[in-house]
Amino acid sequence: MANLKDIRDQIKSVKSIQKVTKAMKMVAAAKMRRAQDNMEKARPYASKLFEIINNLKSDIISLDLPLTEIREVKKIAFVVITSDKGLAGSFNSSVLKKAQQEIDALENIDVDVFCIGKKSSDFFKARNYNVILNESEFWNHLDFSTASTISKFITDHFLNKKVDQIRVIFNEFVNVATQKVIVKTLLPLEFKEDPELLQNTDLLYEPSKEEIVDHLAPKHVKVQVWRFLLESFASEQAARMVAMENATSNSEEMIKDLTLKFNKARQAAITTEMLEIVGGAEALKG
Amino acid sequence: MALFDIEFITPTRSFDILDVEYAKCPGLDGSFGVMANHTDSVISLAAGEIKVLNNSKESYFSTSGGYAEISSNRLLLLVDSVESQEEIDEKRARDAVTRAKERLSSSNVDIDIPRAEHSLARALSRLSVSKR
Repeated sequence: MANLKDIRDQIKSVKSIQKVTKAMKMVAAAKMRRAQDNMEKARPYASKLFEIINNLKSDIISLDLPLTEIREVKKIAFVVITSDKGLAGSFNSSVLKKAQQEIDALENIDVDVFCIGKKSSDFFKARNYNVILNESEFWNHLDFSTASTISKFITDHFLNKKVDQIRVIFNEFVNVATQKVIVKTLLPLEFKEDPELLQNTDLLYEPSKEEIVDHLAPKHVKVQVWRFLLESFASEQAARMVAMENATSNSEEMIKDLTLKFNKARQAAITTEMLEIVGGAEALKG
Repeated sequence: MALFDIEFITPTRSFDILDVEYAKCPGLDGSFGVMANHTDSVISLAAGEIKVLNNSKESYFSTSGGYAEISSNRLLLLVDSVESQEEIDEKRARDAVTRAKERLSSSNVDIDIPRAEHSLARALSRLSVSKR
């Protein structure tokens, strides 16, 4: 039978761990709400930009923008978005696993990696990949300028013909319980004409359609990168929240088991003691 | 007097200003004014200041550029950022001007000139708005 003191100590340590997981869950929940809020705020901008692009699509297609140029794929860059910190369930490992699968599936193609988040850069550095960019420790003050900087790096890399295609791997926020790993081709940009969305074609464009289109394409990339970052951040917090929730209820279970064990041990000790007393009394009587 | 509405949309927030009499925006080819019933158009915006006149009161905003879309008597400003006079951090803007100027005058080849020019324009527009 385990020592009573040992069990009591064990219960105490589980309880203090539970306090930590509870606190982490609460923090993650608050951060997730903030991230969802940001996603909500980003939506009007993205949809309006999309509308303008749609109205100009035929011009975009006929203009042959450098960002839409389709080249024979000899080299690919992956943008892998993870968090800086762990303790978020399978959030990071599922992205990294997917990235590894994607890279392994390529034959005779060189790979560059843009690492967004510390976990991603640790992973790819350890495996000696050609890492172009390490961007981490920005998640707590994530703003649009971060997305601008990252997307500038990515587009420049593509425009300088260092790579022929750029793919992004990130966690999409489906709901609190579900995050989905998505692989998306970011560059070259693909524009398909969608006549249903076409409206207001007799607008006046200033200075010229060309000039507007020229600025639109990089903006479009920026907004997409911004969305990826927001999605990933919301997913990270949701994953951490669920993981910590599970940890809290697991420790609850453990405390219950340990308390039962403690009570049994205590009862056993009392019974033994009583038997001894009774035995002693009987002996005296005899 | 005929009035119109303005809607600011940025990646991080959106807000409206209703019943505006007149607005002046920094177009890529120089400033332009908008009054009610303007022709429907899409205009590229440079970094600069936006002046809005409503209820006979002037207010100023600093923007880092984007697009203006005018349709059905509504001016939609799709910009990367917008700050009102009260929101501008003057010291930060002044520091940014110094930094951008330093970068532009240095002989380092690695410097991204268009980017430095853009941040200079942005900071100058912030300063001019805050001094209004």
